[in-house]
Amino acid sequence: MRLRADRDEVLKVVGMHCSTCVATVSRAASSIKGVMDVRVNLATGEVRLSLGEGARLSEVVKSIRRAGYDVVTQRVDIAVEAREEEMPKLRELLESVEGVLEVRTGSGLVSVELNPLRTSAETILEELRKRGYRVSLAKEGIVARSDFRDSSLRLISASVLSPLVLLVNYFPVALALSAVILLLSGTKFLRGAYRALRNGTANMDVLVSLSSVTAWAYGLVSKDLGFLQASSLLITFVLAGKTLEAWLKERISKEVPEVLRVKARRIVDGEEREVDARELRPGDVVVLRSGDTVPADGVIDEGEVYVDESPLTGEPNPVLKGKGDPLIGGSAVLSGFAKLYVTRSGERTYLAQVAEAVRRAEAVRLPIQDFVDEVSAYFVPTVVVISAIVFLIWRFALGYPLSFALTLSIAVLASACPCGFGLATPTAIAVGIRRLLKRGVIVRDGEALQRLTEVRTFVIDKTGTLTEGKIRVVKSEGEVRLASCLERLSSHPIAKAISKLSEGQCEVRDFTEFPGKGVHGVVDGRTVLVGSKDFVLANCTGEDRGADLLVCVDGRVEGWVWLDDPLRPEAIEAVRRLKAMGYRVIIATGDSSSRAESAARALGVELRKGLSPEDKAELVRGLGKVAFVGDGINDALALKEAFVGVAVSSGTDLAKVAGDAIIPSIGALPSLLEGSRRTVRKVRENVAWALAYNSILIPIASGVLYPFYLPPEWAALAMSMNSVSVVLWSLVQ
Amino acid sequence: MQVDPVCGMEVKETTPYKTMYKGKIYYFCGPACKREFERDPETYLREGPKGMPE
Repeated sequence: MRLRADRDEVLKVVGMHCSTCVATVSRAASSIKGVMDVRVNLATGEVRLSLGEGARLSEVVKSIRRAGYDVVTQRVDIAVEAREEEMPKLRELLESVEGVLEVRTGSGLVSVELNPLRTSAETILEELRKRGYRVSLAKEGIVARSDFRDSSLRLISASVLSPLVLLVNYFPVALALSAVILLLSGTKFLRGAYRALRNGTANMDVLVSLSSVTAWAYGLVSKDLGFLQASSLLITFVLAGKTLEAWLKERISKEVPEVLRVKARRIVDGEEREVDARELRPGDVVVLRSGDTVPADGVIDEGEVYVDESPLTGEPNPVLKGKGDPLIGGSAVLSGFAKLYVTRSGERTYLAQVAEAVRRAEAVRLPIQDFVDEVSAYFVPTVVVISAIVFLIWRFALGYPLSFALTLSIAVLASACPCGFGLATPTAIAVGIRRLLKRGVIVRDGEALQRLTEVRTFVIDKTGTLTEGKIRVVKSEGEVRLASCLERLSSHPIAKAISKLSEGQCEVRDFTEFPGKGVHGVVDGRTVLVGSKDFVLANCTGEDRGADLLVCVDGRVEGWVWLDDPLRPEAIEAVRRLKAMGYRVIIATGDSSSRAESAARALGVELRKGLSPEDKAELVRGLGKVAFVGDGINDALALKEAFVGVAVSSGTDLAKVAGDAIIPSIGALPSLLEGSRRTVRKVRENVAWALAYNSILIPIASGVLYPFYLPPEWAALAMSMNSVSVVLWSLVQ
Repeated sequence: MQVDPVCGMEVKETTPYKTMYKGKIYYFCGPACKREFERDPETYLREGPKGMPE
């Protein structure tokens, strides 16, 4: 990031409601190096900063967020037509734009987090357009999507014309044909090279353009047909490789459909009418028959269907859904007939939310990126220098003819591939995220995959995560009717169990819930407190009888409830595997009863019990590199605070769930770990491969194996196979 | 409005930070005050607000 000295910034902070908050936020902001002055306005939530040299606004935002407050920022996903190796430069460029906090890059995608008080998506797009990049907001259709079609059209024209260049012996015709190939099929390279050089960077296009233009120009001057042919074939072969690469990339990205492009049969005035799925609105009723794809999210109004939800939830078996059951858009109807009441359509569907999450997750910055950036920055200039040295050696030191020395130096330019480095990370991440998605795991932050491999400790929530979350009342004594009335107002799993203890009607006033402790209120004129042992005994007198919950009426304990919440079978297996892999596992639970202890004993892990949501957050903060696994809504605080937050949720509204990754059940945790290890390993292997490929191919192209040498066109083909092999390697197991 | 027994600030009853002690509900401006109170409620009830916990 370019660092500007002495500037003022304004941030909008959310969640400050008292003067402690003001003190905490100022302390958090001032703790960052280079922050000279902080002024917090409690009324407007605005934080004015004076930043000195070396201060990064993104660090300030992170620090404020760590302190427990949120900063209003906006994330903009921009589809950019640029080669992967240009991304480091692009990131640097964007980070120097005022108001830009953080930039992450993926394949053909830039994700910018910005301060909306300072800049806007339009400003960023304008900034990029000014520098010659073709851009659009990712939601409005991805530019890179057309890459395959574009490449194949250029390849077809080049493949038709190139044989003619080889066959024609008449110089002017060959010259004209090869010029057409250079300008028609090769425009993409020439344009890319121009754009890169203008922005002070260099990419593959620079090398391809330099080699093909040099060959063609020398052919023109020397009237040597061989060089014209080399120029044409070089472009054709590079295009062949690029087309294959674009096809593979497109196949990877198509694994997650962006929106439902299917037809739906909507019932209008009692009649079925075929409409596009995107035209559906909440409240519409559509008909489903076997073979249909569910066109939107909704609830079955009547009928029964067997559906295959495997692409969405990873559930391999067909599921029977009847009246009142929810259906997810994108699942396949295997048999049956039903009417679906649409609740969410188009952009709001679960599928669209998943697609968006995946797209965002792909934009990452892994630690290996620093190395890749370094290599990319020097790669092209180094290759050009090597090419010049090769020419000088063969021509002057070894005394070979001009045309031969030139052939080898062109081959060097054509053989070097900087794209492999650029492709290494995005393809491995994209494939990794999609693999996990097939198992029902949604990765929201691709960097979390890297962080997960650094984690040594897992902190796991108990209720609902390790256990069924369906708490049963085993036994109750004394007064439970009033408790049952009171608990009906709470949505806590324990409350649900207690509320079923009696059916009677009662009048409840002044209901108050103390998260993680209990509930209080006036029921039928009597003051009732229901909660954990410690909480109730701090407020009432009486004995506990070893019960899990106590009911206190008008200051005296009058009711006792014993509970049970069995462990999930897959939780036992998942924890066993985590322990076998050498992880430290800690159960963190709000439950302070003996059930927590017996669960921890059964699993053979550490226990921290009686924790409030804030205590859990504090626990993970204190433990450093930990992954927290828990409920996506109730444990949101700990999920955000943890090094990696893994939410367990089978809900279909992603916006409500916190966490870097979402798993359908604790049983999927080993899959997530395996997937993240594999992805991180693939990234490293891809970088190593790209490096090895170049360090073998460039010397061969330089002629070290003379009398064997690579003609420029074959060097170009070998070069383009480098990126193809990186993509393929990301795909293989 | 209620008074935070730790820092003495006025807080609304809708705050998520509250607890009950000896049958009375106490409201706090934030998690820090709440934690501080729960650690030693008697002292705060006896001696009154002491300002922001560090």
